[in-house]
Amino acid sequence: MSAPLSRPLRWLCLIAALTCCLPLLLQLPPWLAAVLLAMSAAGAWSPRQWPGALRLLVTIAVAGLVFAAFNFRVGRDTGCAGLLAMLLLKPAETFVTRDARSLLGFSLFAPFAAFLQNQGPLTLSLCLPALLMTLMAWSRLLPGAAPVAWPRLLRQSAFALLIALPMALAGFWLFPRLASPLWGLPQLSNKHMGLGDRMTPNEWLDVLVDDTPALRVRFPGATPKPEQMYWRGPALTVFDGQAWTRRDDFEMLPPPQMQPGPTRIRYEITLEPTEQRDLVLLDVPLSQPENSRVTGELTARSNEPVNNLLRYTGESSPDALFEPELSPYDRRLLLALPPGRDPKLRTLALQWRAQTPDPLALTKRFLGWIRKDFQYTISAPPVGIDATDDFMFQTRQGFCQHFSSAFVVFMRAAGVPARVITGYAGGHYNKIGGYWLVYRKDAHAWTEIWIEGHGWLRVDPTAAVAPENILDTVDDLRKRQDQSLFGQAQEQFQPMFDIADTLRNGWNEMVLGFNAARQKNLLRPLGIKDAEAWQLVIAFAVGAAFALAVTLWLLQRQHKDRSDPLIRAWRTFGRRLARVGIRKAPEEAPLSFGNRVAALLPDNAETVLRLSRRYCDWRYAGLELSPPQRQELIRDLRQFRAGRPQRKTSGGRS
Amino acid sequence: MAAVRDGVERFGDRMAALALVRPKQPETLPVRITRRRIYILPTGFGLFIAVSLGTMLVGGLNYNNNPALLLVFLLAAVVHNSFVHAHLILSGVRLRALHAEPVFAGQAISLKFRFDADGARLRPGLELLCAGAQQIFDLGANEESEVVMDIATQQRGWFETGRIRLSTLRPLGLARAWSWLRPDTRLLVYPMLDIEAPVLPEAPGDGDSPRTRAHGEQPHHLREYRPGDMQRQIAWKASARADRLLVREYESAVARDITLDWQTLHALPYEAKIRRLARWVVDAERSGSRYCLRLPQQVVPAGRGAEHRHVCLRALALLPAAAES
Repeated sequence: MSAPLSRPLRWLCLIAALTCCLPLLLQLPPWLAAVLLAMSAAGAWSPRQWPGALRLLVTIAVAGLVFAAFNFRVGRDTGCAGLLAMLLLKPAETFVTRDARSLLGFSLFAPFAAFLQNQGPLTLSLCLPALLMTLMAWSRLLPGAAPVAWPRLLRQSAFALLIALPMALAGFWLFPRLASPLWGLPQLSNKHMGLGDRMTPNEWLDVLVDDTPALRVRFPGATPKPEQMYWRGPALTVFDGQAWTRRDDFEMLPPPQMQPGPTRIRYEITLEPTEQRDLVLLDVPLSQPENSRVTGELTARSNEPVNNLLRYTGESSPDALFEPELSPYDRRLLLALPPGRDPKLRTLALQWRAQTPDPLALTKRFLGWIRKDFQYTISAPPVGIDATDDFMFQTRQGFCQHFSSAFVVFMRAAGVPARVITGYAGGHYNKIGGYWLVYRKDAHAWTEIWIEGHGWLRVDPTAAVAPENILDTVDDLRKRQDQSLFGQAQEQFQPMFDIADTLRNGWNEMVLGFNAARQKNLLRPLGIKDAEAWQLVIAFAVGAAFALAVTLWLLQRQHKDRSDPLIRAWRTFGRRLARVGIRKAPEEAPLSFGNRVAALLPDNAETVLRLSRRYCDWRYAGLELSPPQRQELIRDLRQFRAGRPQRKTSGGRS
Repeated sequence: MAAVRDGVERFGDRMAALALVRPKQPETLPVRITRRRIYILPTGFGLFIAVSLGTMLVGGLNYNNNPALLLVFLLAAVVHNSFVHAHLILSGVRLRALHAEPVFAGQAISLKFRFDADGARLRPGLELLCAGAQQIFDLGANEESEVVMDIATQQRGWFETGRIRLSTLRPLGLARAWSWLRPDTRLLVYPMLDIEAPVLPEAPGDGDSPRTRAHGEQPHHLREYRPGDMQRQIAWKASARADRLLVREYESAVARDITLDWQTLHALPYEAKIRRLARWVVDAERSGSRYCLRLPQQVVPAGRGAEHRHVCLRALALLPAAAES
């Protein structure tokens, strides 16, 4: 089947392959994408196959570029870029049907690979043209396929996709899923999403301007107050003067003692993929999500990295008391400070401690100080080696990282065990969807101090300085928006943002968040709880059979009779007669058929003779009919019923 | 067009020899292709796509990557539907007739197939494969179409079309649906003509031929043109007047009956005798003489005209093979 490709066909195949590559192409660094596209274009426009040496050279160069683009690290993204590079080089050797087929086949892996990295709306919507183009190219790659007009080809492919939907959905929802993966997903070569294991107050954080959603939350019962919306992530305990990190044994710690308070809040979180194992929970969590465990620091660790949308439920009690006792080892760890650093702040802490021995009063005093003298800004001025001292006594400008870090250093110096907690704060209420949306830019760092008999208490020094920056509820947002033109515009568009995000959330819940566990609940309306595998298989078979029936029905209907309406009306007339047992032989002429019918049906004889005569005159005698006459004949033919004298044409009979 | 066949097609051919495969016996036309005789297998490309989709399915399930799974299931459904569609393209097609004018062995026989179909569906890309030759045609809704295939012949006698395959790769080229046709229509191939045959044998005895100059006062009469008549026999003026081709017939031109006798050729091998006699039949007919043919088991009485020529050539074509002589 290695017939050479005609020019238009070759281009159709190349464009189809490029459409498939597009979603993956957008995930590459722009310069690499540009280089690969240029290479691909050179291959596509070359009139014949490149010599072997050149191909080898180009392949090696491209492989080198791809590796360089990902800093010579091997990861999922490197692999995807490699696949893409190979696909984009393929046009240089696509000249016969067989090459085109393999190109189109392998191109299908491009959208698949794109989904491994991004399941957002853009990738999804780019997948549709890719499928359409692929189907168009497939249908044209046949021997003897006559050139078909574009719109018709497009319509055929769209129809093929449309009638594939029922079966695809049956497969999607009912095909048995794996409860646990057979092998793990390769990691990305560099992680950049979500909260980190490490907090360096003086480093700029991309996350602070990241507008993408981090999580969505629904509260089935009571909604917590805005100042209680702290989404607890990793706790950072160890400080080296520059950066905060986790304690080494944080995963081994047993869960702390808990005394839940009177307020209980149940919630359901849908977490966007983070590629990490940390989950966030509403402070203070009482339960642990499925497939994860809660550590001694009340932070949740999932068993698997969160590579896909993850949904889990939990219960929290914002006023719970936890870890009323602290072991001497923990106490020492939670008071540790890097020796010799930040002398001024530590001296101040000791002084204040002597003046105000009560930790709560001490906290209040500290917060009063920063409220008065400090400014919130996300572009903090640089600081020196004694970072905390410089911040506290010179720059006095910073954001949550600076404030929480400085406060913990101060409290530890004053002899109060303290730690930094990272996570998200606040949330944006989506009125249309009825859920809360937390953006990545809502990432936050706050602190906890430990007081004998009270356990851990949350203190958010940033909130003392700039509460609106942390707990920005809709009301706060509105207050600020009134000031700027941009704000007004944003407010006007807010319902649209809400609708868009609600749609996305719906898609997330219906499609992206679907997994083996939810599949088991699918049959609940039928009275089957926790469906077994065999029940799912049966459900799949039934669903597939149903989908097949729908497909068959659609396929059978596909081609309408496109012949002349008058001829169609004549056929209808023939069918009506066939129903009473008078079948028109294929070779029978209209007139002789009419005569035969007239003899068999004396009641209709006159009508039948008249109709067959008129039809015959038009069809064979070349009699021109005016449009009204034509319409009349069509109507009469269609209205004919055997055994019932016809109104219009059979004059005296009725 | 030469047909290149992939592994799956060869497998399909091999399967055709199985006793289960329909039709089991040659059948009388018209033949309608029903679902019981449609076979379908993926093409090489279809297998490749299936393997790709399988890989993606396992990957998608493993990572529980729902958009990827949706993509896989959508494509799988498209592939599946293309199988159903291929089946529907074939189902309901009728082979109404198959005929061919007899030719001499060695010439190409023009097989004329007439197809039509039930229902108002379009049936594009039907491929007809017969004795190694291939032809692609479309069958529109409520349409009849004639497919002509020229196939080389080698042997005199009944021409075997063998299994004729009507197949389609549409709509996507992922699967080939096919049905075997075995029409019992008999197509005749005349014997090959001897190239260097000696002139016609003279009639035995001399001529008291009753017909000589019998109608002297009317030197010729006219009859309708029949294929095979020589151009110079055509009466152009008369034809122009009558608005149809007329041919002058010289009643008196025929001297005697020519006898073409098998026995006179004893020196030749068996098949060469047949070729020689066939040649003479053609020459005799062309010369306008009456001739009769004597074969070992059979005698064709003297006669003349296309019908007679056909009877003679048929008798020669259907002589048993060489073994007995």
